[in-house]
Amino acid sequence: MRVDEYEIKEELYYTKDHEWVKIVEEEAIIGITDYAQKELRDIVYVDLPEMGRKVKQGEKLCEVESVKAVSEVYSPVSGEVVEVNERLEDSPELINQDPYGDGWIAKLKPENLEGDVKNLMNAEEYAEYIKSLEH
Amino acid sequence: MIEFAGWHMPVWFTSIVKEHLAVREKVGIFDVTHMGRILITGKDAESFLNHITTNNVEKLKVKRLHYSTICNPNGGIKDDIMLQRAEEERFILVCNASNREKIYNWLIKNSKEYEVKIENVSDQVPMFAIQGPYAEKTMQKVVDIDLAKMKHWRLREGKIDDLHIILARSGYTGEDGFEITLWRVTHKEKEKAIKIYEKILEAGREYGIAECGLGARDTLRLEAGLLLYGNDIDEETTPFEARINFAVKMDKGEFIGREALQKQLEEGLKKIRIGLKMIDKGIPRAHYEIYREDKKIGTVTSGTYSPLLKMGIAMGYVKPEYNVENLQVEVVIRGRKVKAKVVNWPFYDPTKYGRRRVK
Repeated sequence: MRVDEYEIKEELYYTKDHEWVKIVEEEAIIGITDYAQKELRDIVYVDLPEMGRKVKQGEKLCEVESVKAVSEVYSPVSGEVVEVNERLEDSPELINQDPYGDGWIAKLKPENLEGDVKNLMNAEEYAEYIKSLEH
Repeated sequence: MIEFAGWHMPVWFTSIVKEHLAVREKVGIFDVTHMGRILITGKDAESFLNHITTNNVEKLKVKRLHYSTICNPNGGIKDDIMLQRAEEERFILVCNASNREKIYNWLIKNSKEYEVKIENVSDQVPMFAIQGPYAEKTMQKVVDIDLAKMKHWRLREGKIDDLHIILARSGYTGEDGFEITLWRVTHKEKEKAIKIYEKILEAGREYGIAECGLGARDTLRLEAGLLLYGNDIDEETTPFEARINFAVKMDKGEFIGREALQKQLEEGLKKIRIGLKMIDKGIPRAHYEIYREDKKIGTVTSGTYSPLLKMGIAMGYVKPEYNVENLQVEVVIRGRKVKAKVVNWPFYDPTKYGRRRVK
């Protein structure tokens, strides 16, 4: 699905801060959306979250930096960080190149998935949300 | 688009990195119409400007320009400027966008004893900057001035279409290039200015010209070690602390701020500007603290990721005893101390980049 130049993936859930989460079996994979990476442009540094850290939904997970500014990434779900995308340390541009794939940021072991998902948007809702920001 | 000193301006057209590298390797064009242009004419123009500014206007020949500052009586910088001398008694003072009104008012206030006319022409004089190793080739297709014979810091007048132009060989990127002003274009006639902008863009196409936004303007000037008013200098900072001593001529006689600056030379500086290159990963930003051996020694005033060096670079102020090349220090980034070292500017290798590069 696309809204203007922005790609939106059907199977993901989204936040208003432009993070996405993909539920794969027992894990929640987290990243930032195509809209977010296009707004930030050249992503040049990712301060990855610490392994084992527990975060609540909506809490700061980590920071990504573009040339111009630091942006915070908020966790779409509550849980424990069980894996981080270490490739981003040397290749932060993966977020620009493939925000929903190789540019993923962290994997969480969710704590309250069913409840958390109720607070997120599905692809269609996120598409409407993007449209509302464009005006 | 962002709001900058009351102007809607793009931070980038394609990407900061692409635009930045175009200027270092090819050529880029910037619309810098937001900057202030003040026309100063009259019999006393030279002596008036020598009283107001810190560089020596008596030594500024016709058809040349120089970098200078305007100080308050305490020696603090009210603005850093480019002063163009078009004729013996006709000067154009180019000041920062955010200081347009302040500087105009300051000039008026201090001009009572001089026979000068001071006119703020900022809104009638669009200004573009064309910067990079292919700036000369690009502009040569647009103007009928022999640019091969025009050195840096020189000023020429000419025509494009039916508009009078003043071309300065100067810039804010560290690269060779030009800053052009169009005289005069009222808001109603802005199509004329747009047409010239597009003409330059077309002329530069074969050299890979990029339209550049405020983002690249900032990263380029930082790599070159050039100051940004409001970040790196302000009314609490003197030109000596900012290490732009070449813009201050203490031997030229009286000027506003001279006494305070003389006192500072005698008593010594309390802070001094340094350059920083990150040793470890991390991007320094304005207001981050600088540490050395668990002691806070200063503050970052501008920092960014350098698209050319692919690492974090910054400028900041420390106590003078820490201004030692290659001294290892730490920048506090989100609570973590990250290693950096003190360096001089420009941050790039000047034999490979910048206007003094070996061709």
